Amino acid sequence: MTTQSSVEIGTEWGIVSARQAGRELSKGLGFSSVDQARITTAISELARNIYLYTKNGVIGLEVVNDGHRQGIIITARDQGPGIENLRDVMVDGYSTSGGLGAGLPGVKRLMDEFDIQSNPGEGTLITTTKWLR
Amino acid sequence: MHSSVVDFIYQNKDIYIKKWRSTLDELDLNIYHSSISNEIIEETKAEFIDLVFGTLYTGEGEVAARFRRFADRLIYYHIPLSEFIRSLQLLRRVIMHDLEEQSTKEQYDRYNVDLEDWLDENINKLVDEFSNARENTVNLQNTALKELSAPLIPVFDKICVMPLVGTVDTERAKQIMESLLDGIIQHRAQVVLIDITGVPVVDTMVAHHIIKASQAVQLVGAECILVGIRPEIAQTIVNLGIDLSKIITKSTLQKGVYTALQMTRREIITLDEQRSTEV
Amino acid sequence: MRIPILKLGNYLLISIQVELDDQTALLFQEDLLNKIHQEGSQGIVIDLTSVDMIDSYIAKVIGDVVEMSNLMGAKVVLTGIQPAVAITLVEMGVSLNGVQTALDLEQGLEKLQQELEG
Ligand SMILES: Nc1ncnc2c1ncn2[C@@H]1O[C@H](COP(=O)(O)OP(=O)(O)O)[C@@H](O)[C@H]1O
Ligand SMILES: [Mg+2]
Repeated sequence: MTTQSSVEIGTEWGIVSARQAGRELSKGLGFSSVDQARITTAISELARNIYLYTKNGVIGLEVVNDGHRQGIIITARDQGPGIENLRDVMVDGYSTSGGLGAGLPGVKRLMDEFDIQSNPGEGTLITTTKWLR
Repeated sequence: MHSSVVDFIYQNKDIYIKKWRSTLDELDLNIYHSSISNEIIEETKAEFIDLVFGTLYTGEGEVAARFRRFADRLIYYHIPLSEFIRSLQLLRRVIMHDLEEQSTKEQYDRYNVDLEDWLDENINKLVDEFSNARENTVNLQNTALKELSAPLIPVFDKICVMPLVGTVDTERAKQIMESLLDGIIQHRAQVVLIDITGVPVVDTMVAHHIIKASQAVQLVGAECILVGIRPEIAQTIVNLGIDLSKIITKSTLQKGVYTALQMTRREIITLDEQRSTEV
Repeated sequence: MRIPILKLGNYLLISIQVELDDQTALLFQEDLLNKIHQEGSQGIVIDLTSVDMIDSYIAKVIGDVVEMSNLMGAKVVLTGIQPAVAITLVEMGVSLNGVQTALDLEQGLEKLQQELEG
């Protein structure tokens, strides 16, 4: 049993609606207020990266159940320029836009599972999961 | 089902209670705790005998309740269950010995099966109740631990203390952080003293959690003072190259409280004799 | 959307009640700096009680606003940051170093008064 939704990130408004969708979904599943904030923040970071570094992309939200517990999987998919060196972008403080460079390493710490795949010139796919405790 | 053997035991119950008693006396019930009194041990044995022989003539409901009470007792006094199970094997041997003498081969085989059933039932009930009771205790302990994990104690207006006791792992650090921040809001605290006197080891990971906690405390609008830094902890912190310079630290809780009072622009004064008698 | 900025004597009071999108945040930065310039304000309280999420971008905007205000001679206190928001910020590694904070508006104003009036 999975519930899926996706939000297009073409404009800045997409960021707001993606995190609102995440807030509602995580609240509905019974995540604590701190976990709701973690999930919403992670979505905001990923959506903003799509907005800042690519033309457009999609944030997907999915409810999963591994037989023991429920969780939320967030996917961020874009067909943008991709990321040359994955190791660099996972370092705290690394930014090509004068940002804080806390987004990707931050998301990894806020969530339970984190995976990033990227091919230069083809795009980026980030998948990250938070489990309900 | 095992009425024949039950009748046999019931008829001879005084003999078996006596015989079994003497084997019970050889059991070592004190292996966990040398501090259980003989009185309690004797009581426990008597209760066990009542319990086992009680199943011969007491109703199901009452039997279940007795087993539960007995299991609670074992857990309460840390008395090992295994010894009682062993004692039931001994009882079986005693009874079988008599049956062998007093019955035909055919009768004996049937009795043997019935006796096994009766004893198995007792053992099963005992083990079941014991594990239920233990699970309950563990659950209770867990809840207590969770609550204990971070009690935030208001000591003065605007000043709270959080004594940390035991090891701080990542999961616990998260719980502590949450109750620390919620407590600050609830008590409107401006300064929290985190007392690490009860933390056995402060390694880089524990220090990392403390630094993160103090950053979060600052974000919600309060200040953190780390107190209870023993000499060996100061040594490890420096030897590991941990930078706690951004956190106010004091050796004792008392010194920390003075600093906290200063930070909230207050002080403790001693009333002079005259004024204090007037009040 | 514009965030209202209230004037209270020498101070400016801002309570952020709306979902902080980037445009609103940037507009707010601009409005606040103009207001400080106009009024010669010495102290500013920004209340974040109703804000349920601050990501690294908004944190940067807020941090910048504080730094810019300081440059213009105004002290800023952030108030009402929720525990859940504080925890996510810290886990992200964003600790808003050097920014003054207080539990709520009332304590924020007190803090400003102490700092400015001794
Ligand atoms: N979807 C993406 N496509 C291409 N590059 C990206 C993407 N997301 C992040 N990046 C790169 O990774 C860097 C680090 O991202 P992040 O950790 O979010 O910090 P920040 O956004 O503050 O720069 C960005 O500066 C950018 O160069
Ligand atoms: Mg980013």
